[in-house]
Amino acid sequence: MNPFHAQIKKSLANPVLQAALDANAEKRVQARQTAYASLPEPLEIMRQRAHAVRSETIQNLDQYLEQFIAKSEENGIIVHRAADATQARQIVLDIAQNLTQRRGERRDKIKRYHAIPREPASLLIAKSKTMVSEEIKLNAALEAAGIQAVETDLGEYIVQLRGEPPSHIITPAVHLRRQEVGETFHEKLGIPKTEDIPTLTDAARAALRQTFLDADIGLSGVNFGVAETGSLCIVTNEGNGRMVTTIPPVHIALMGMERLVPALDDLALMLALLPSSATGQKITVYTQLIHGPRGEDEVDGPQERHLIILDNGRSTLRRTPLNDALMCIRCGACLNACPIFRELGGHAYVGDSGQGTPYPGPIGSVVSPGLFGQVEFGHLAQASTLCGACKDACPVDIDLPEMLLRVRAGEAGSGAEGVQSKRGAGSEAGIGLPFSVRFGLGLFTWASTSMWRFRLAQKLAAVFSGILSPRAAYIHLPAFTGWGYSKGFPRPARHPFRERLKHQRRDAESAERIIRKNRTASTTPQQQKPISNIQYPISRFETELTALGGTFTRCTPETLAAEILTLLNARGFAEIMAWEQDHLPEGLLDSLREQGIRIEHTPHPKLQAGITGALAAVAETGTLAQTSGAGHPQSTSLLPNIHIAILRENTIYANLPQVLNLREVREAPSVALISGPSRTADIEMTLTIGVHGPGEVHVFCI
Amino acid sequence: MTQTVQLFVTCLIDTLQPQIGEAVVRVLERAGVHVAFPQEQTCCGQPAFNAGMRDDARKMARHTIKIFEKAPDPIIIPSGSCAAMIRHGYSELFTDDPKWLARAQAMAERTFEFTEFLVDELGITDLGAQFSGSITYHPSCHLLRGVGVDRQPRALLTNIRDAEFHELPNTEECCGFGGVFSVEHPEISAEMLYRKINNIENSGADTVVTCDTGCLMHINGGLHRQGKNLSVKHIAEILDQAQR
Repeated sequence: MNPFHAQIKKSLANPVLQAALDANAEKRVQARQTAYASLPEPLEIMRQRAHAVRSETIQNLDQYLEQFIAKSEENGIIVHRAADATQARQIVLDIAQNLTQRRGERRDKIKRYHAIPREPASLLIAKSKTMVSEEIKLNAALEAAGIQAVETDLGEYIVQLRGEPPSHIITPAVHLRRQEVGETFHEKLGIPKTEDIPTLTDAARAALRQTFLDADIGLSGVNFGVAETGSLCIVTNEGNGRMVTTIPPVHIALMGMERLVPALDDLALMLALLPSSATGQKITVYTQLIHGPRGEDEVDGPQERHLIILDNGRSTLRRTPLNDALMCIRCGACLNACPIFRELGGHAYVGDSGQGTPYPGPIGSVVSPGLFGQVEFGHLAQASTLCGACKDACPVDIDLPEMLLRVRAGEAGSGAEGVQSKRGAGSEAGIGLPFSVRFGLGLFTWASTSMWRFRLAQKLAAVFSGILSPRAAYIHLPAFTGWGYSKGFPRPARHPFRERLKHQRRDAESAERIIRKNRTASTTPQQQKPISNIQYPISRFETELTALGGTFTRCTPETLAAEILTLLNARGFAEIMAWEQDHLPEGLLDSLREQGIRIEHTPHPKLQAGITGALAAVAETGTLAQTSGAGHPQSTSLLPNIHIAILRENTIYANLPQVLNLREVREAPSVALISGPSRTADIEMTLTIGVHGPGEVHVFCI
Repeated sequence: MTQTVQLFVTCLIDTLQPQIGEAVVRVLERAGVHVAFPQEQTCCGQPAFNAGMRDDARKMARHTIKIFEKAPDPIIIPSGSCAAMIRHGYSELFTDDPKWLARAQAMAERTFEFTEFLVDELGITDLGAQFSGSITYHPSCHLLRGVGVDRQPRALLTNIRDAEFHELPNTEECCGFGGVFSVEHPEISAEMLYRKINNIENSGADTVVTCDTGCLMHINGGLHRQGKNLSVKHIAEILDQAQR
């Protein structure tokens, strides 16, 4: 039995996995439908636009990459290009080593609460989710070099503690239920055994908080690079993406070379489609737009930002008929929609030699052979009924069944590793199928290209099946035939249709024709979504923010301090952090101080509330936009449990593109788009509020 | 003038389920069209195409194109899957062969799935059919997503007298057939089949109607193995019922 087949059997025999995958399929597909219904425009229009944008980008990738790299470098990002996994790993190791040498003796750290104990002298890397890191097997390389890497996405953290790879590109722990997570945390973190998801999430939050504060390097992926501005866009719900790109002194971003969009308007389109397809959200809680390292006089943000752009087979893939697969924005919708993934889970998608792939499911069965070679991964494409649910789910309309068919036809090539096919040229057709099946199909072709041979074959089939099953209409084939595993096979007809037709013709002539011709309207027009009632931006913002779990209070500049004070007093907070007075409404901090509130401007993890302003807001999604800069650090809205934001009514814009195109957004070293409190659904897709970022967001609008 | 159509009956119906082909002919004739059946037809080539054996598939496609080029009439296929093969698969097969691509596209343009032809081309939604019993509809994947045909069979089913229609839960889920897939990955195929059978049982209907013989023999094979007293029928068999 080959390794893939062994994995299939293992998955199907695992009741925990089956229950988890069923729940995932049902919840995620439903959530996606609901989210699509609230998109600003009809889904199909957005989908086709996204397809056009991504398709054009991939076609002109060299040109966009050049523009993107030039812009990022101008913004102060150190850009590295890696041809393959080995180079990419080496670049990370070199950055780490360089950092160790420069720092010499490391300052003593406060007591750590780590799941994985480490040597005090070694480097610590806090990682947010990146599939490229899985692709280049970075964690193993870091470990070998004595560098500790801690995954901070809840799902990734769970699987890292268990020593497993992620089983889904968006929800790494989708194969587990709360019971398994409870067991793992009990064993690895020493917390009492529990199945309560908020308790488990809190335990992870507590364990990881110090990692963010201690980390020497923050390592992240990149969801999109914007060619015109050189922006790195990173989205996370939990807030770990903001943490690793804001707190540690060095930030390394890993990016696949295809993850570009030409302009900020294109980014806005992707930012609507990605979360709705991935998790059924209108917008991800935190969207970071990163332009450069910490600016002058800023108190947070890394001093150094590196970007590693990975090829690793993408250039090769781009020259194959599978190039459309590079349009993928890694939302995972095709995995959730796929009836095969629902049976197998991500861990089952293994190569001929038994090695896993970071990219499972329909898109994975195309890019795994495309990037890593069809000799190793081509057979994955045979595990599909070509039902097309994946194509329907894809927000950029990749024709995945077509791609799978091309892999089967041997068009994936040799991938990054340049492995030459063992089977030799010309015999790659029917890749992944055993000789017996290919031989049988070849015989069928021979029979079907001549009427006489075909008729003879029909006759032979009728005779043999008559012997096998003289009475019953169904033949009980043995399990090894495949078909016989679960179903009976209909006995071939003694007289095929072509013979019976002649007899029927005679009877039919006397029959009466009973026809009611009803010319029907041949097309039912696509249901147009009713245009939602026009709302003033401020009330729309209030509606959306409240739906996300934030609070909204309208006040005047005169009543603002009193309103905030009421909130602080209710929580018993006498010491808070806040942006500097220049960036807040006049007199606010003095008024608070007069009432006995102590205010720090440098963010500190001990302080439980942070007061910030906001550059602007997006009504349509309930989003606050904040830029980093001297006197208005990012950490003020990130470290505390409670984020208090002061918003001016005249800065509420209707939609995201308007805000993305503001000059301040384009020019700030780092921009955070905040849509409600931090959240996760990594354990059993159960929504839990308050992970790494604030659990409460209170907006006071003046 | 009576319209003539060419019937491409499909290899599955021809060999395994000829009674479906007979029903198709009767329904079409009663709808006022003359049905021609080119005897040289065999298989459209989808099994080889789906397996990735494109040279084989091309041979079968050329054979099929040549046969149906002999007459200019519309080509009617009582299968969403084979219709999708001719509409999309053939173009993919001959991307690099302009001469055959043009011939393939010309064939695709006059190829219609059976219910699509009845409803969209002939404008018929009521064939005066009668069926006593409860029915549900399984939209086969290639018909639904490959050819985009769904309202046509549903419209035809709506007008069947005495039939009680039940919607199939999770209706758009694949039954797990997938051609060679059902043999190559029997364990996964079986799980999908069981889920489909569960949904059929939950629908409360005792007859499942579909437009594809692949799904039909797959689900019927499973029902037979499990000894279930339910059956899957091709839509032509149901539309044919009343007219006897």
